[in-house]
Order: sequence, then C-alpha cells, then structure tokens
Amino acid sequence: MYWKYCVGRILNGIVIYAILIFIFSTLFNATMEQTLTARIEEEVRAEMMSLDTRMTPEEVNRYIMERKADKYRLYRLDKPTWKRIIWRATNALTFNFGRATIIRSSAGETDVWTIISECIPRTILLFTTAIFINIILGLWLGLKKAQRAGGLMDKTTSIGTMIVYGMPSWWLGMIMIMFFVYTVKIFPSGGLHSMPPPVGWAYYIDLLHHMALPVLTLVVIGFWGGAFLTRNIVLGILQEDYIMAARARGIPERKVLYGHAMRTAAPPIVTMALLSLLASVGGNIIFEGIFSWPGLGNLYWIAIEQNDVPVLMGNLSITTALYIGGLVLLDLIYGFLDPRIKVGGKR
Amino acid sequence: MSDYKLEVNHLKINYFTRKGTVDAVSEISFNLKEGETLGIVGESGCGKTTTVLGLMKMVSPPGKITGGEILLGGKDIIPLSENEMRKKVRWVKASMVFQGAMNCLTPVYTIEKQMMETIQEHKNIERLQAKKCIINYLNLVGLSEDIIRRYPHELSGGMKQRVVIATALFLEPEIVICDEPTTALDVVVQAQIINLIKRLKKKLGLSVIFITHDLATEAEVADRLVVMYAGKIVEIGTNEQIYGGKNSVHPYTQKLLMSTPRLHEKIKELSFIPGTPPDLIAPPSGCRFHPRCTEVMERCSKEGPPLIEIENEHWVACWRNRYV
Amino acid sequence: MKWIDIKTGLQEFWKELKEVKFGIAGLILLFIFILIVFINPYIVPFPEGSSRWRDIGYWVDNPRSVPPIWVNWFSSLKYAPSLTVHDYSISEEQIGGMKVKEVVFSYNYSYDIPPTDIIFHCHYQGSPVIIFSMERPDNEVIELIKKPLPLSEGEKIRVAIGRASKIEAYNFGSKFDREEDRISRDMVVPTKIFFSEAKVGIFRNPIPLKGVYKVTAMIILPGEDDRVEDAHISFLGSVSGLLGTDNSRRDIWSGIAAGVKWALIIGSLTAFISVSVGVIYGVTSAYLGGWQDALMQRIFEIFRSVPLLPLLIVMSAVFKPNIWALILMMCIFFWVGPVKTVRSIGLQIKEETFIEASRAFGASSSRIIFKHMVPLLIPYAFAMMALYIPGAILYEATISLLGLGDATVVTWGQILHDAMTGGAVLQGMWWWVVPPGLSIALVGMTFALIGFAMDKILHPKLRTR
Repeated sequence: MYWKYCVGRILNGIVIYAILIFIFSTLFNATMEQTLTARIEEEVRAEMMSLDTRMTPEEVNRYIMERKADKYRLYRLDKPTWKRIIWRATNALTFNFGRATIIRSSAGETDVWTIISECIPRTILLFTTAIFINIILGLWLGLKKAQRAGGLMDKTTSIGTMIVYGMPSWWLGMIMIMFFVYTVKIFPSGGLHSMPPPVGWAYYIDLLHHMALPVLTLVVIGFWGGAFLTRNIVLGILQEDYIMAARARGIPERKVLYGHAMRTAAPPIVTMALLSLLASVGGNIIFEGIFSWPGLGNLYWIAIEQNDVPVLMGNLSITTALYIGGLVLLDLIYGFLDPRIKVGGKR
Repeated sequence: MSDYKLEVNHLKINYFTRKGTVDAVSEISFNLKEGETLGIVGESGCGKTTTVLGLMKMVSPPGKITGGEILLGGKDIIPLSENEMRKKVRWVKASMVFQGAMNCLTPVYTIEKQMMETIQEHKNIERLQAKKCIINYLNLVGLSEDIIRRYPHELSGGMKQRVVIATALFLEPEIVICDEPTTALDVVVQAQIINLIKRLKKKLGLSVIFITHDLATEAEVADRLVVMYAGKIVEIGTNEQIYGGKNSVHPYTQKLLMSTPRLHEKIKELSFIPGTPPDLIAPPSGCRFHPRCTEVMERCSKEGPPLIEIENEHWVACWRNRYV
Repeated sequence: MKWIDIKTGLQEFWKELKEVKFGIAGLILLFIFILIVFINPYIVPFPEGSSRWRDIGYWVDNPRSVPPIWVNWFSSLKYAPSLTVHDYSISEEQIGGMKVKEVVFSYNYSYDIPPTDIIFHCHYQGSPVIIFSMERPDNEVIELIKKPLPLSEGEKIRVAIGRASKIEAYNFGSKFDREEDRISRDMVVPTKIFFSEAKVGIFRNPIPLKGVYKVTAMIILPGEDDRVEDAHISFLGSVSGLLGTDNSRRDIWSGIAAGVKWALIIGSLTAFISVSVGVIYGVTSAYLGGWQDALMQRIFEIFRSVPLLPLLIVMSAVFKPNIWALILMMCIFFWVGPVKTVRSIGLQIKEETFIEASRAFGASSSRIIFKHMVPLLIPYAFAMMALYIPGAILYEATISLLGLGDATVVTWGQILHDAMTGGAVLQGMWWWVVPPGLSIALVGMTFALIGFAMDKILHPKLRTR
C-alpha cells in the first residue's frame, strides 16, 4: 500500500517538474537566446582574430557568415521556435544547462551545472542545520505552551510569534552582522571559511564559526512559528474523545501527552513544518547573499549582478527541482506517519 | 449499605463558565446493586453524561464536583487524588464505554498497542499472558484474533464498539458504565451490541450503569431506571414500575413514554413534549419541569419536590404523586 | 444579491474580533498606519519626499549620512544639529569704485561633534565675488574660499563653504600639528578642523572649541546693478531628522512614512486578489467534482510546486517589471495558498442538505457557489488575507533589495537596497538599516495580530478558558 503511494508521489513530482521546465523554457526563451546570439558573435569575432590575415575582406565576411550559420545550426537557432523550446527544455531536464557567460566555478570551469552543483551542498548544510534546531526548539516550546495553554508563557511567546511573522530574515541578518560582527566583534562577516582555510580540526571549527551567525539568525526567526503551530495542533488533539478515553483507562498523563497526543499530532505538524520550510526558501536566497554564504541563494545574487543568464536559468531549474523534491519528501513522510495512509482503508 | 456496589449521595457538579455557573448536576442520589443494570435516561443536556464522568472524577474543566459523596465499595472516592484515581479506581474499579466509539480509539496506535498499554498499566503481567487475555476478551465480544494488528480506521463502527467493550471488561472492574454505546451505530449493529451486552452481563455477573436517551433500548437492558431532567432525578423505579405505567409516574416520564411510538398501536399524531430544556445557569424555580408540565400546580413553581418513595423501590419527585 | 451576504459576514466577524484582545491591538496599529498615510504631508519635514525621492535637488540642504537628532539624548558627546542663521550684521564700504558689503553671521557652537558643512545661500544678480572667512572663539581667523559667482540675471545660489575649503583647513591645521601626525590632504574634513581647538592633535584627536563663531562673507559687487539679497547660512548638522539621513542626503523618516502607503497598497491588493481567486477556485473545484475537480487540482498542483521567490526573482531580472506588474506576478502565484483548505471545507458544505435543496429548486451552479458556499468562507478568507499581507510586502521588499524592484516607487525594500549598496552595514549606519526593516516587521506584526485573532475566532476549540 505504502509503496504504491510512494511511487505515485515520486512520479507525480517528476511529471510536474518536467511541465514546469517546459513552462520556464518557453517563458525565458527569448532571453536565453539573446545571451546565446551575443556569445556566438563573440566567439566568431574571437575566431576572426586568429585568422590568416592574407584573406580578402570578402573572404573574411563569407567566413564570418559561414561560422555564424554553423553555430546557429549547432544551437538549433535555425529551427522554428517550438522546436528550440523543446530542445532547451530537454537539455534542462538532463541537467545540461550550457555554459556560463561570466561566472566561473572554483576550478575555473564554465559549465553551469558544475557551478551550481558546488553550491548545493553548502546551501543544504546551512539550512538543514537551522531547520533541525528550529524543529526541536519548536516542538519543545509548542508542547510546553499546549500544556499551560492560556498561561503567561503561552501568551508572551505568542506575541513573539507575531513580532517575527513579517520580519525579513535577511534584514535580521543585517542587524546581527552590524552588531555581532562590527560592534561586538565575535563572528566573521561572512563566507564559508577564513582565507586561507585552516586544516584538520581547525577547519571544522572555522566552518562552525562562520555558520554560527547565519544559523542563529535563522533560528531566532524560525522556531516561533513551529511552536505556535505545535501548540495549536496539540491543543486541538487534546480536546478529542480518544484522549479522554485514554485518561479514563488510567494511562498516565505523560504517556497520554507524549504518546497518544504527540504521535497523532505528528503528521499535521510535520506537514506544516515542512511547508513553512519550503515557503522560506525564497527569503533564504537573499539571506545567503547577506552573509556571502556561497550557496545557491548567493549564486542568484552573483548571477543577477553579472547578468549571467544561463546560470540564472540553471539555478532556477535546480531550485525548482529541490523544491519539488521537498514537497514529495513531505508527502512520503506524512504518508509514513499517518497509518490511515500507510496501511490504507477499511478491509 | 455495603451491598451496594455504588452509592451516590447528594452529588453536585457545577460548570464555572464566563457566562455564569451552570448547575449541571443538582444533588442527585442513587445506588447500584451487585449484578444489576441501572439505566439512566433523559434528554440531551439533562446531566447524565456529567454524572457518570463525575463517577470517574473526569469532569472536564471548567466543571467541578462541588458536593456530595460517591461511595465505591463503601469508600468515598471524591477526596482521592488524581494519582490514586488513576491507579486504583479508573478501569480497576470502574470502567467506561464511551459515547461515540468512533473517536475513542487513538488513530495512530494499533488495537493491540492500546489494549496492551491499558493492561500493563494496571497489572504487572508479562506480554504473552497479557496478549492471551486480550485475545480472550476479543473473542468474548465476537472479534477474531487478527483485529489486534489493525488500526482503528480499518474497523467498522460496530467492531470498534466491541473493542471498546472488550477493553472496558478485561480488567474485570466492579462497575461498567456504558454511555450511549449504541447511539452512533445503525440499527442492525445496535441490536447486535445490545445482545452482546446482555450476554456478557449474565456471563460475567456485571454491575452496569447504562445511559441512553432511547427508552426502547433501556427497556431491554436495564433492571431499574433513573429518569433525569435538568440536572435532577425525577423518578427511580424498576422496569415494570415505569413501563407498566399503572401507578402514577412523573409527568415527564409519562410524556417520554408517550412520545415513543409503539408498533402495535394506531397513532394519528406523534406526541411530544412542548418547550425546550431549561438553561441551567438560571434554572426554573421550584420543580424544574414545571414550565413544560401539563399538570402543573401553583405549588410546583414555588417549591422543588423531594424524591419520595411511593411504593417499594419506586421513587418520584412530583407534587402530584399519589401514595399507593 | 451578494453584497448583503458579504455585509452580514463582515458584521459577524467584526463582533467576534472585538472580543480578542490582541486582535484589537492589531487593529489599533493598523489604524495608526492608515493614519500615517493620510496625514503624511503634516508629519514629515519633506512632504514631497515620496515623489521626489530620486531628485537630488530636493535634498540638497540636508547633511549626508548622519544619525538622528535624538542620539544626543543617549550620547555623552553632543552632536551639532542643523541650523539656519538668517540674522546678520552688515556693513558697507566702497573700495576702488566697487561696493563691498561685509555680512557677518554669528553661530554659537556648544557641541562636541561639529556640523558637517556650512552652506551659504543667497539670491543674486550680476557677477559678484564672495570671499568667505571665519573667526573662531579663540580669535583665530581662517580664510576660507573665494567664490566668484557666474553672471546671471537673477538666481538663487548655494555655496558649500565647508566642503570646498579643504586646502584652507589643511593649512590651518598644519600650523598646529606635528609633521608626523598630519593626515593626507584628501582625508581632511574641514569642519572637524574649524571647530576644534588649535593645538597638537588637531588632525587625529580634535578637541571641540566651543563658543561663538563668526562667518563673514565679504561680497564684492563690481557692477552697478549687481545685487545680493536674502543671504542666509545653513550649518548642516552632524545629526538630522527623526531618523537621520542616508548617503544621498535624504531624510529617512520621510522615506519611511512614504513607504507606509506602498506597503499597505502592495500588501492588501495582492492579498485581496489572490485570496479571492483562491477561495473561488477552491469552492468551484469542490462543487464541480468529477473530472473538472481533478483537472483543477492538477493545475493547482503545478502552480503549487513552483518555488515562488526564485521564480519571481528571475522573472524580475529578465522582464524588469514595474510595481503593478510585480503585484500581478505575485497574485499569479499567491492564489494557491487557500485552495486546499477551502476545497475540503467546500466538499463538506456540498454534502449539506441545503445545497441539495437549492439544486432541486433549479438554482444554477454559479448561484449556489456564490450565494451559498462562498459567503460561509468569508471569515476564513479575511483571516487568510490578513496573514498574506506581510508575505506580499516581504516579497516586494526582497525583490527591491536585489535591485530588481520598481525604482520609481519608494518602498522600504528600496530604502534597504540603497542602504546595502551604500555600505550602510559596513559603516554601521544603523539608522538607515533598522527603521525600514523594523517597519516591515511592524506591519507584519499588525496583520499577524489581526489574522491570528480571526483564526482564533474561527477555531474556538483552541480557546483556552
């Protein structure tokens, strides 16, 4: 039962991803081609420089025409628009994003995919750590709030939730930097590690040192929502009949709360937590930029500044893939936790 | 005194809400004999469920037991702490089959886990033996062994109700309280469950409190009846005394009986009781039924009638009652 | 037909909202924000700040990059505020056939941090030459710049005496400081030297010289008809305004107040449109059922699977939209939010008997949907809208921060973008960075309070006694 569900969800995700890539390719076709034609011009010009200088102007011109036509054919620019879109989309689906115009990978390569794939683990490192801490803190606080619902702690922490609700994470990052980096000089101002990076144990400590401030910022903003949510869901469940029934059976309160209540609360909490996580993907883009954390988000910054369209497109595709992957993962986890899905319906 | 399994004296339960204090259960007294099935009937909101929740000291806030005593096996349980209730009383001395079994089982645990948890919480026996006990009782209620691996949502309403009944019984408590156990089920399953309860009653010698608003069911299952209205008991009597109807019974009980259509009578109109149940924050003065009573006298609005024994084991709280 | 249902829905919701305390707090804040929008011209020193944000000329008499005035309350060192002196004493002479007027302004300096500049304003005709000098309380006289004014029939002019007098300041300072303590000529901030005690350390550790300063403008009027009128001097303070100024001399408080309007517009427009569309979509999908429902759900899933902000960013980078196009783009994706919940509520409502009854009466689908189902969702829709507004504002701010927003519109995101590119974070210009973000957070908090209060009403189970 569950396996069928899993496979179904994964296939669904892949199909949606493909559709989106097609839509993106159509939408941004014109821009991509602009970049392409510009680069072709450059390449041909470069070739022209290394030509035999004894050729006549007509010969040179003819050569340019020929080379351009060749390149156009190579990049399918001579085919009708819809064919071009399909070709580009299929490329994107196979993670073949072409070459960057300006940006280079750390090894100096121009392949967009290489550039992007270097950034992925850094983004994942930062955000997974923050999310992990947020979930634990959120669950703990939410449970405490639900137990003493309506009390002082509950009310004050709810105010905290409201305060950070509309607060930009990147702005808080700016403030944190202004305070902790320039006023009280505890943390470095950004980046992955110091230059040059230390070796051995010191490398990891240095990494943690650099991660500390961004993670701290993300946690300060992030865990309130989870606490608020957990509190509401758990409170709702505590009103249910089966909780009263469990108490009537003499089950101690601890087991009722952590066992019956939390376990039933797990699916909706996990859903909401992951959803809000995915929703925050956007703000995190800027966030990385503020801290110069060389992940996918920061790559958007650089690509926009340098106007490197292929990198921008590739990044968007990968971000979308990760996003959809996250949604599918969410479905799978939810299905696992909720026996109504895991085991299926009535016999 | 001590041949009563349960004795309730002048029990008072109030709900302290923002809008006012609700006088939900107003000084009621009744008792339960060994091996007897006592039925409690009444309209929705008359206090039946609150009363039995009170018996388990599980009245939900803002409700509180504000007076009286509940003697289980001769000992008053009201002063007991929550911990003592949990360990010694709940499920051990008295268990409960809840209203709406639809939602009484935790959806994320298997039947086995939930039943096992309950047993192991009260009895120090090892898994294998506990499992045997569980399967035994499941069979008793007519369910097969492989139910234990299922989750609640996989079972039908009737099956869930049986599981709940089995769970209520397997610690062999002295009293089993059934709060409208068949209300949420369809008629066929209802009949099955009622037959099951009757069988178990006989087989295990249970003392049962059975709540329902359906008089027909009550007639089948109960030996004695308690009729409640607006937080007060208006009549107590045996099956024959109340259903027999020769002697005068409380006007409310009469109306209840009349509004149940009979199979063998020709009825032109369904009779009903005009009006609605009263607001218990400010209940009517004197007899709480007097605004809706067709036999109301002047005295009824001034003084609340006491429960008087008009014949052996037959008590009525009405100024119009006549001694036999 | 439908307005009455909306009105009843609104009235009910209003009654309930009043009961929840923090909902009221939210409403009060909202009222304050709306008030700011309407009384904007009266509470800011620069009423045209919004429309002339990028117009350098409008801000030209502000100091650059200075903190707010109230910093003085907390600082042991006192900053000089901006001051314009109109009074002067004037004496006239004739020297070699030309009229020479000597105009002297008095300035009482009692602060620790000097003004950032001294600006001379006048209205003139002809081509006068003005020679500036300053007499300090310690009786030292510093010769400042000589400024010949270009020939004109009549115009206003301003001369930045302070900034222009770097050389003079350097020379003055060099008289007192040791060779090795001098800093390079380019690094000199004239006013810091002018207003400091003339002794060793004047370059690196200036000690403020307090007292009465006299700025003299010796105006030489060569021509007969040459005239100088309405002379006044502005001392641009080292603090200014309620929230200081940015590196383009703009008063930040004016910018923040201007931003309120846009935040509210962007937020409410996006939230209203997208939630309305989402609710109608969800209800219709639930009602229609069958293959139509399935199709609508597929479409919904596709939209939902898009990481919104990255796409918005790329679309903004490529298409460079203006503010309305940006709002439209946000609406195109925000509508997916309510759909799932609305659909499940819709499915429940559909099973209700009154729906069946309506159908039996021959009511059309659209009538059932709009008259019977949607009104039931209005309270929920409002709660959703309130909770979406901060999101929309946040997105716009993020796009603007990247420099992809509509530069003609003053939003808090734009201000933050300027702050970032202007190096505010590195230079510790907290008054530039904190207010815009804090405003975004405050508006977010306002709507969070309102939205969660509504949410609490809709889910009474969560009410604690």
